[in-house]
Amino acid sequence: MTTFIIRRLLQSVILLFFVSILIYIILNIVPGGPFDMLKLSNPRLGQSHIDRLNALLDLDKPLLPGQYCPKETGVQQPCRLDQGRYLRWLGKVVQGDLGQSWTLKPGSPVIELIWYRLGYTVLLMGISTFLAILLAVPIGIFSAVKQYSVADYAVTALAFFGQSMPTFWTGLMAIAVFSVALGWFPTGGVREAGAEGDIIEALGRIFSFGRLYPELAGKELSSILDGLKHVALPVMVLTYYNMAGWVRYTRTSMLEVLRQDYMRTARAKGLRERVVILKHGLRNALIPLITILALSIPGLFGGAIITETIFSWPGMGRLNIDAIAGVDWPVVQGLLVIQAFLLIFSNLLADVMYAVVDPRIQYN
Amino acid sequence: MTASTAEILKLEPAPVTKPVSQWGLAWRRLRRHTLAMIGLVMLTVIVIACVAAPLLAPYDFEELDLRKPYAPVFTPGNPGQPVHILGTDALGRDIFSRLLSAGRISLLVALITTFLTVIVGSIIGALAGISGGWLDTLLMRFADLLLTLPTLPLLLVLSSSLRQFVALQNFLGSNLSVAIIIFVLLIFGWMGLSRLVRGSVLSLRGQDFISATRALGGSQSRIIFAHLIPNSLAPIIVAATLGFGGVIISESALSFLGFGVMPPTPTWGNMLNDARGAPLEHLFTQTLSPGLFIFLTVLAVNFLGDGLRDALDPRLKL
Repeated sequence: MTTFIIRRLLQSVILLFFVSILIYIILNIVPGGPFDMLKLSNPRLGQSHIDRLNALLDLDKPLLPGQYCPKETGVQQPCRLDQGRYLRWLGKVVQGDLGQSWTLKPGSPVIELIWYRLGYTVLLMGISTFLAILLAVPIGIFSAVKQYSVADYAVTALAFFGQSMPTFWTGLMAIAVFSVALGWFPTGGVREAGAEGDIIEALGRIFSFGRLYPELAGKELSSILDGLKHVALPVMVLTYYNMAGWVRYTRTSMLEVLRQDYMRTARAKGLRERVVILKHGLRNALIPLITILALSIPGLFGGAIITETIFSWPGMGRLNIDAIAGVDWPVVQGLLVIQAFLLIFSNLLADVMYAVVDPRIQYN
Repeated sequence: MTASTAEILKLEPAPVTKPVSQWGLAWRRLRRHTLAMIGLVMLTVIVIACVAAPLLAPYDFEELDLRKPYAPVFTPGNPGQPVHILGTDALGRDIFSRLLSAGRISLLVALITTFLTVIVGSIIGALAGISGGWLDTLLMRFADLLLTLPTLPLLLVLSSSLRQFVALQNFLGSNLSVAIIIFVLLIFGWMGLSRLVRGSVLSLRGQDFISATRALGGSQSRIIFAHLIPNSLAPIIVAATLGFGGVIISESALSFLGFGVMPPTPTWGNMLNDARGAPLEHLFTQTLSPGLFIFLTVLAVNFLGDGLRDALDPRLKL
């Protein structure tokens, strides 16, 4: 088992390396740089100025290791071997420096932008994933145990519906119904307009025992409640969407388990039906669910681009699309690498957990 | 009284049944699947309605009437003009006509993308399965690599970047965004099918009819195209059907975010994006119809795909 883990770790690192190459090449082959807007807004800016700015950001160096002939003020300087932009970036990334934003917040480290949004995304995705699992597992099990009943058909139909509904439609309809027509929830954003702080700041204050955000003293509870009101609709949309897939998955898994011989043995032994289902069936049916849980980790930190856009939720998904729209490649690079890293290692985690939980599986 | 042997043995001739092919059997099984039939009917209606858009649509999809924005359903048109069945949008364009025209684009994109994905995925999968060794490993590792990339952000990035290449703009003209989105969805869509086909090829490889073809002098490509792929069609069909629904959602999502098909060409995702900007009291009616069409189409496709999966299941007697 240890050799398996070590081997997979090495493979993961190599895979991550290749993925980073691919990401970097895709993002850097396209025309466009951080100073395009500058050129448009200031017609007196000549090409030599742009060249100098690009040289400051190391953007005139070659992509891969190769010849580099710098041009300082029109005078050709001796060519030298340069490590290339990719290796320079990679070197900084493994030290934790993801570069600096070009257009979203020029000069700010990418990590700072990500760190600011992380809390909101984890809140949104955490609550929805948790609720989705909490609801999907019992419903899926119930549906499997009572197969062919009316409830089963209803659940399967709802699951089908949920998987066929695009989240942007569900989100907009939810806003139209619950926000506009019924007025129960706000239409978007994270806080009431003009409010002092939002839920993340309030939670930060609580967890730091009052050291952060002193201006929120006494207002933590109202900020949290306000934040919960704002997060309710996106959570509903995401939970429904996730639930639809997971209910079907749990149901299929449970159906397979129910057909097994050991279930029949358990009943023949005279155990109560509830014990049979919960102790023998559920345990085995939940094994594939571990894979699902592990694979939802990248989503936890990556956010939901579409839902966050509709509800103006300031999370990682919104950061992603804002950066792409704003041609802010360092931020996009950083986000993509983080997501790829999370995906690769959560895959590894899923496989390891699978082996831990199921003694029948042995990796050699 | 004993009868003669000949009389006893006078058997009735066996009823002659028409031989049913494997596809006929599968079709019969599909017919019994209610949901799948519902899906098939829904899909046919939608496709026919959209294909016949120029005939069915009361208005042209670009026709504006700025005096009547956000008209509710069944608003009568200007005198002498047909009724606006689903009302109008922000610029006074008839929503029903736009939905039908948008459907043509969305369905066409989905169809072409699925078709190309099936071709590319099958060829790569069959190649990997039949060669084994380094080519197999290389292709499958490449597929794994692409699967590790976060899809949606890269779809957005590629879509916005490819748009900037002037050469492409000149070459494709107004079809640029449609071509870009097909290409981009193809790049990230072939992996699932290739894995499927590879699995099927691996299990077919050892069978006798393949060795016989080889012995008779069949070339590698003949084995792939005339024998391996046709025998793998069942899972390919199921995957293609379900993938069709996925492509519709992806294309709508990209168009909704502004990175897919560009206005004024209507597509269901586009129309939802326009609906986002509607004043709040009209939000419900504006978002209901385009999204409903996406939902119904994908639902129909999912029903059909589920039914096909059961009908074509090789584990049941075929």
